[in-house]
Amino acid sequence: MHGLVTEIQRFSLHDGPGIRTTVFLKGCNMQCGWCHNPETISARPSLCYYPDRCIGCGRCVLACPHQAHQMKGTLHVIDRSLCRACGRCAAVCPTEALLMAGTVMTVDEVMREVRQDRVYYDESGGGVTLSGGEVLCQPAFARALIEACCAEGFAVALETNLNAPPAVVADLAQKADLVMFDIKLIDHGAHHKETGAELTTVLENARMLADMGISLIVRTPLIPGVTDQAENVAGIAAFAAKLASVRYYELLNFNPLGASKYASLDLPYAFKDSRPLSPGKLSHLKAVAEAAGITVKVN
Amino acid sequence: MSAITFINQYDAQESFDYDRRLRLLRARKVAQTEEKARAGGANEDDYGLIVQDAFIYQLAPNHPNGSIYGYQAWVENYCSVLAQHPLYCDPLDAFVGKGFLFLERLRPKAHKWNPDYPFDDLQVLFDRYNIIHGIDNCHHFTPDLQIGFDLGWGGILDKLKRCRSSKGSAHHEFYDSEITVVEAVIGFLHRMASEIDRLAEEEQNPHLKANLKEMAAVNRHVASEPPRTFREAIQWMCWFSMLSRTYNRGSAGGQLDELLRPYYEQDKAHGLLTDEEAVFYLACLFLQDSRYFQLGGPDADGRDMTSALSYLALEAADKINIACNLTIRVHDQLDPAFFRKSVVCLFRNRQGWPRYSSDTALVEGFMNCGYTRDQARKRVAAGCHWMCMPGLEYTMNDTVKINLARVFEVAFHETAVREDARIEDLWQCFNRHLEQAVNATGAGIMHHLKYQTRSQPELILNLFQQNLIEKGVNITDGGANFYNMCIDGSGLAVVIDSFAACEQHVDQKKDITYPALKALLDADFAGAEGQVMQHLLMRSPRFGGGDNPALTWAVRIKDAFTGAVRALCRRYPGIQFIPGFFSWSNTIAFGKAVGATPDGRKSGDPINHGANPNSGFRRDGAVSAMCNAIAAIQPNFGNTAPVQLELDPGIADDEEGIDKMCAMIRAILKSGNTLLNVNIIDGAKILAAHSDPFRFPDLVVRVTGFTAFFAMLSPEFRQLVVDRVKAVNPTLEQPALPDECTLSCPMPIE
Repeated sequence: MHGLVTEIQRFSLHDGPGIRTTVFLKGCNMQCGWCHNPETISARPSLCYYPDRCIGCGRCVLACPHQAHQMKGTLHVIDRSLCRACGRCAAVCPTEALLMAGTVMTVDEVMREVRQDRVYYDESGGGVTLSGGEVLCQPAFARALIEACCAEGFAVALETNLNAPPAVVADLAQKADLVMFDIKLIDHGAHHKETGAELTTVLENARMLADMGISLIVRTPLIPGVTDQAENVAGIAAFAAKLASVRYYELLNFNPLGASKYASLDLPYAFKDSRPLSPGKLSHLKAVAEAAGITVKVN
Repeated sequence: MSAITFINQYDAQESFDYDRRLRLLRARKVAQTEEKARAGGANEDDYGLIVQDAFIYQLAPNHPNGSIYGYQAWVENYCSVLAQHPLYCDPLDAFVGKGFLFLERLRPKAHKWNPDYPFDDLQVLFDRYNIIHGIDNCHHFTPDLQIGFDLGWGGILDKLKRCRSSKGSAHHEFYDSEITVVEAVIGFLHRMASEIDRLAEEEQNPHLKANLKEMAAVNRHVASEPPRTFREAIQWMCWFSMLSRTYNRGSAGGQLDELLRPYYEQDKAHGLLTDEEAVFYLACLFLQDSRYFQLGGPDADGRDMTSALSYLALEAADKINIACNLTIRVHDQLDPAFFRKSVVCLFRNRQGWPRYSSDTALVEGFMNCGYTRDQARKRVAAGCHWMCMPGLEYTMNDTVKINLARVFEVAFHETAVREDARIEDLWQCFNRHLEQAVNATGAGIMHHLKYQTRSQPELILNLFQQNLIEKGVNITDGGANFYNMCIDGSGLAVVIDSFAACEQHVDQKKDITYPALKALLDADFAGAEGQVMQHLLMRSPRFGGGDNPALTWAVRIKDAFTGAVRALCRRYPGIQFIPGFFSWSNTIAFGKAVGATPDGRKSGDPINHGANPNSGFRRDGAVSAMCNAIAAIQPNFGNTAPVQLELDPGIADDEEGIDKMCAMIRAILKSGNTLLNVNIIDGAKILAAHSDPFRFPDLVVRVTGFTAFFAMLSPEFRQLVVDRVKAVNPTLEQPALPDECTLSCPMPIE
């Protein structure tokens, strides 16, 4: 069983209870303009280029079979229309100015990495988190990973957008110990406009998981001008409060660190001038959410 | 000479509670530290030394080279220092005991070792392999303070005289020297008590006058008698520390909570002491000197020793929050509330204390040397990276280091001249040189043991060894019960990564031949091709990167070093040689002695810190990956290969975060690691302090095993700390800090 993995991050402290290893699967079925991991969106490997690391050695020019790389004087230029993301340039780049996002891995290969932090999971009540991209986009691989983790006694959490058929969601979620999912917008039209996905699917899946008694954490990324209105937060909190198995509702402050990743992929980034919400606004939104009668955390 | 006192600095009407006194004392400490830093600083412990110009001692040499050797000269000079040493007394303090100098450092640097006992043949090898041989290094083992508590200086003097009368003339030089020293100590302490009496008369503030009167009475008693109360016991410890430091910088604390518990419980039972007073006294002790103390841990039966006093010691350190070398001994039965409180202190105060040791790893390792579990449990944290059984062993801990990166360099340059060389040839060659380096180091230790008494006898620490006074010999002449000689390897990660890089790029990918790589290293990666190759080498599997070929090399090299060191035990029966991996603050000096290496390190750059991986060991900088790697290279004979961890304070800013950090510490130690040093560093603040160290005069960092005021460090050392912070926080940049960030003190300073 193979899957496309963007990254395996050990000693992860913010992706669920305890100390965890987070496995980021590649490919997402939403198109949120603010995503701070844009290299995970495509379901194929992606070439990232960080010009500040480039020493102009030209090894990539020689390695590329498609002539996607050129040196114009000291300037390194990439023609993305020619790039097939084969990774040969990144393999010879000495400074990691060129990096491939997305590695084909077997379940065993992932587990070899995951297994190394067993003592940290045991001591902290942590485990493994499958994240993305969108974990539901590689259901068979995700299922195999969950089963492998369960066989070794590792707790598993899913980080998901719940944008998948209910059968897929139920199949994976029932094997996990925790599902953390996003509701970004509570207005159906706005949700479709900003994410390209139907809110109804998300909400119905959420209700289904609650009915199944699966432990849930509901999260909203606070994106300035998009999701950070009080009425949006209040609406999501009201929905979350009705889910019987919800642990808490978490507000995630805007993370501005994605800008360099968009640049590395030659992608436009609409939020490059946005800043994290102020402590005052965060407190206000927390209070708004708490009014729905649910425990709220801010990160 | 005149005393340094702070008499009549406050109006008679002013009142003082303990918190106010500590605030003022702390402010004075910070100001004195800044003064030391502006005077040049030092890349080492604080020691509580006072910078002053009231008393300058001129060494009286007994050798034409300007140095002093043997009993007589050391005794005469030390007694002369004590006869002249002025009092430092702060009426706000509970104790006196500040020192102004280390006699051992007044010797000419080039002439510390007695030239009548040369080791020229060994020096050739020491130079070849860049070995810190430890010959002439003093102290670095632990006194048993309980001996002092039981006997007092007067009791020690009586015992010396009694034992002298039953021993032959061969021992008279030892006894006569020690008797002269102890008589000088008692005379000195009586003079100090009288001076405090005089100051008490002068002081106008009634509160401070009363304190001085009590201080004088305490000092008059402990000048020769065993301490009776909690305050007397700590005053005795302060003087012991000053007297030992003044002689040869020696000290080391011990199991603080257990040492003082009988006095605490007795005074409490008799209504002589409140917890508030106990905290104040302990805080004054910590302000006096940055000695190493252990808290918690199991007793001989495995029961946790955490007591009310352990909590009060943490509270005291928390109140003053300066450089404190407190170690919590973690074991399965450790009081979880005490452990959690210590972690809260670590993250809230961000001053590098406490640190954590693993009882299981240390005990099981030391038992591999043939000691019992009971003996192993007595081995308490007492120095930068080391443990010691107080009063039982001589160790040379942290004084002997082999620059493994240099050993590798010698082997590489010998091997890499051959076009057909392979990685196994390099490995065999490295092993040959490693064995030579270790054997030379062992021979150096034996030379030290044989002649150290003729160079510098341990006049103070001798008195606090079990059965040594009865034997009537210096500790290096058989006075100790056990000889457990420490040999540390430094630069391990440079060697590991170099082997891994050679294996991948020369043997496997055949990107380059050994002679071509040698030429590149000789040229220090000069030119465009050199730069490209340097970067490619740096992308090789790294120690700390996970379960990769570098880890296989790590275990192989650890086993080779450990085997070579342990083989010395067979060569020199009766003496244990114990391996560890540590660099102390020699990372820069060791690095300067080594040219470019196949891991991509440039000529002269620092070697890796202690047992840590090189910077850039893994893209996500995962703490667990780093700590697992260090666990894999523990030699497992009771000495340490410490983990040095830099963490951002933001990861434990709530209850859940503290829970995770408690779990992290337990996991790091359960996975086989022996010792954990943690810096909780606000990245922006450390960068700002690097630019302007005097903006943060009270910022403390754990440099290696010791904590130090950041401002005291040289720019090179500050850079090392900054680099370590950046290694686990790659996106760190320096934002502007508001002015209110200037002081990190948890208590407002008046």
